Amino acid sequence: MKFVRHHLLTAYAILAFAYLLVPIAIVIAFSFNNPPGRYNYTWRGFTLRQWQNWDGVPGLKDAMVLSLEIAFLAAVVATALGTFIALALVRYGFRGRGGTNVLIFVPMATPEVVLGASLLILFLNLGSAVQLGFWTILIAHIMFCISYVVVTVKARLISFDRSLEEAAMDLGANEFTTFRKVTLPLIAPAIIAGLLLSFALSIDDFVVTYFNAGSEVTFPLFVWGAAQRGVPPQVNVFGTVIFVVALGLMLINVLVQRRREGVTA
Amino acid sequence: MGFLHRHRGLTPYLLLAPGLLWLAVFFLVPLGFLAQQSLESGDFAVGYSFSWAWGNYWDAINQYHAWLFRSLLYAGLATLLALVISYPLAYWIAFRGGRWKNLLLVMIIAPFFVTYLIRTLAWQTILADQGPVVRILRDVHILGANGRLLATSIAVVAGITYNFLPFMALPLYVSLESIDKRLIEAAEDLYASSVQAFLRVTLPLSLPGVVAGTLLTFIPATGDFINAQLLGTPRQAMIGNVIQSKFFNLLDYPGAAALSFTLMAAVLLLIAVYARVIGTEKLTG
Amino acid sequence: MASVPGFAAACGGGSSSSSSSAGTTTQKLASTLRFSNWPLYMDYVTKTKRYPTLDAFTKKYGVKVDYKEDINSNSEFFGKIQGPLSRGQSINRDLIVLTDNEQYLALMIQKGWAEKLDKDAIPNISNLVDVQRHPGFDPNREYTLPWQSGMTGIAYDSKLTKPILTIDQLLEDKSLKGRVTVLNSWADTLGLVMLSNGDNPSKITDESFKRALDRVKAASDSGQIRQFTGNDYTGPLSKGDLKACVSWSGDITQLADPKLKWNAPTEGGMIWTDNMLIPKGGNVYTASFYMNYAYTPAVQAKIAEYIQYVTPVKGTQEVIQKTDPALANNQLIFPTEETLSRVHLIDPEALKNPKYNEQWQAVLGA
Repeated sequence: MKFVRHHLLTAYAILAFAYLLVPIAIVIAFSFNNPPGRYNYTWRGFTLRQWQNWDGVPGLKDAMVLSLEIAFLAAVVATALGTFIALALVRYGFRGRGGTNVLIFVPMATPEVVLGASLLILFLNLGSAVQLGFWTILIAHIMFCISYVVVTVKARLISFDRSLEEAAMDLGANEFTTFRKVTLPLIAPAIIAGLLLSFALSIDDFVVTYFNAGSEVTFPLFVWGAAQRGVPPQVNVFGTVIFVVALGLMLINVLVQRRREGVTA
Repeated sequence: MGFLHRHRGLTPYLLLAPGLLWLAVFFLVPLGFLAQQSLESGDFAVGYSFSWAWGNYWDAINQYHAWLFRSLLYAGLATLLALVISYPLAYWIAFRGGRWKNLLLVMIIAPFFVTYLIRTLAWQTILADQGPVVRILRDVHILGANGRLLATSIAVVAGITYNFLPFMALPLYVSLESIDKRLIEAAEDLYASSVQAFLRVTLPLSLPGVVAGTLLTFIPATGDFINAQLLGTPRQAMIGNVIQSKFFNLLDYPGAAALSFTLMAAVLLLIAVYARVIGTEKLTG
Repeated sequence: MASVPGFAAACGGGSSSSSSSAGTTTQKLASTLRFSNWPLYMDYVTKTKRYPTLDAFTKKYGVKVDYKEDINSNSEFFGKIQGPLSRGQSINRDLIVLTDNEQYLALMIQKGWAEKLDKDAIPNISNLVDVQRHPGFDPNREYTLPWQSGMTGIAYDSKLTKPILTIDQLLEDKSLKGRVTVLNSWADTLGLVMLSNGDNPSKITDESFKRALDRVKAASDSGQIRQFTGNDYTGPLSKGDLKACVSWSGDITQLADPKLKWNAPTEGGMIWTDNMLIPKGGNVYTASFYMNYAYTPAVQAKIAEYIQYVTPVKGTQEVIQKTDPALANNQLIFPTEETLSRVHLIDPEALKNPKYNEQWQAVLGA
């Protein structure tokens, strides 16, 4: 019975991942499609020409690079800012704690169109000091990612066993060392989750970016624009590459873990 | 660092400062502009002017409460579905993932690499009327002979669920991962069945993750418009669609603003009720 | 009265001016033309990744072209630019392209957000086809010039249904139930329905609007109309989810699927035009100068060959006739007088009517 239940869970996990990744499979498949016109909707035959001509769509590569740059930066900054806020909220009493807790939820509840348009008004009011483009996009992305990080890290901190920290300090570690060697590793999964969520939010954002990008084009903006006359198969090529690269990087991570385990085992 | 130790009173403020400052400048100030806009009146051609037009809020609630309820309903359903789908998955990664954990987490957000539109186009291919899924469902009579999956409320809720899955799965994972396995072992040593161990040990300890996941899914889902726009008919329009329409097509910026604040108020109200029900410590620590 | 020669030069003449009314010889072209357009609206060579006519423009006149295909929806683009423009700020573009069958083009002119063309720099304006000379929203062509036109009609999947050539069929033929979409811009959809009702879409009354609106609402409520779409109808159409839909002529050409057919409905179709416009703060002289260049038949021929929409420049067909007679006779690109007589323009006054917009948005679900 335990055997069945044990493998039932794994079977479910496989199904769940299939559900999550089936659009990726379609994207990868259609990167090999050979459509006669601009629309890549129905299968017309196998070809490698989209891959050979991977850079054939002007602006696509730049859009992808821009999206990746912003996503990485936004994820790191938002996660740092959000983690600090989460630490403050969970571990300290201070004036305005209730208000801060509420404040965290409001950006998530704000419809994107008014969020983006209002932020644009701010930038416009700052006049010629502000140039719409990379920095305004980045600022916007960090802004809306912070809340997600706070909620995620808070969940971990709430159930955090303080006695571990107390033990470390009893053993002579100061606050900073305790934080570095005890707290941080234990909340690392939450920080990683925050990074991943922020990255996902940033790389996929359309509405807020649309308002605040000036004449810069991110990947979602590019795709939305191209969709007017058909998304070129090269978009599928780029999607596939990003997926495979991410997979590859994480495989390296697995190997590094194995190496580490091998050393300490 | 000795400075921090001695001046413990300052620590929280130092931690809060960067993030809150960022939100204050780049969120609260724009929100202020929005609030001001929500009290304006006039029309686009002539121009809008501030006039304490509380009537905008009255109109919002009066005319659009149906859309508001529908949005809360769809978001609620999607959150529930996401929870049911994600929990076993997060559990599996947390308890069985081993050194593959991080890779599996990245796989969860992988769909976001290809942008919303591409994901949805892919689903539209899979769920097409002439596609295999619909054909099978028709054959087993789950769908009528002319039934379809796309352009229905099912498609809209399914779309919202799918697109918010990582926001449920990741916090769930974070909570589950932190559970000390020895607690479960102890329970089983004390003759609990694995089901009992799950219900009495794992589930309660994972509640902070459940709370976080439901918040990160439900709150943004209420304001969603794109799933209803691409996967639904006029009957599935959500409050987000109304706000889009007011902003882009009717150029009614005060109306859009008032409607947005109405939605935000409704959501915050629900969070307050939620916090009361589950106990505020789970929310605020 | 005698002008002092040196005086004018010393008084700062000669720098590029943005609103000089005359004197092409003293005006200087800007170093860059910032041009925003719709996707696939400029001749492009995949192999070299260049836009030939834009490169030729740069080579001939020394003006670089910062060409961005960042307009994909009139309402969305307007929603973005109204922020800066309403605050008197520039959007950093010299040339943009908006469609005349939505309210936004007229609104740009009405709100004073469009610069007047420097007609002295556009002698080729005489090549503009007669039918485009006095549109309702810009009677003397002071602010806009057509880029390309297109037609709205009915597309159907010949594998799934018999030919659908009328709105009556589209909205009331039960065999199509749930497999029909219509466009979410009312000028396109209601324009066709008005023609089917025997009303004139170029002169809309409250009654004729209501008649058309009620008919569409009924079809939507009954489930005949599956969805109201932008150009995302192309996906479901190719995949066989749809049997017929309201659609734009150029899309069907691009889908390149022999089973999909496009026709202007029997009672008449709609024609719309994407217009070039200089937003406030743009460099009027350089933008006007480009417009003149684009209105040269030889240049227009290259653009039209690629875009395959309806060109507004006289003489283009003759140029293409010499190199590609088949294209020159393509009805969708060079419609004959007969075809043109069956397509109609939308009433520009009606576009501005907020009540019509509200009623339409209500049918769309919002």
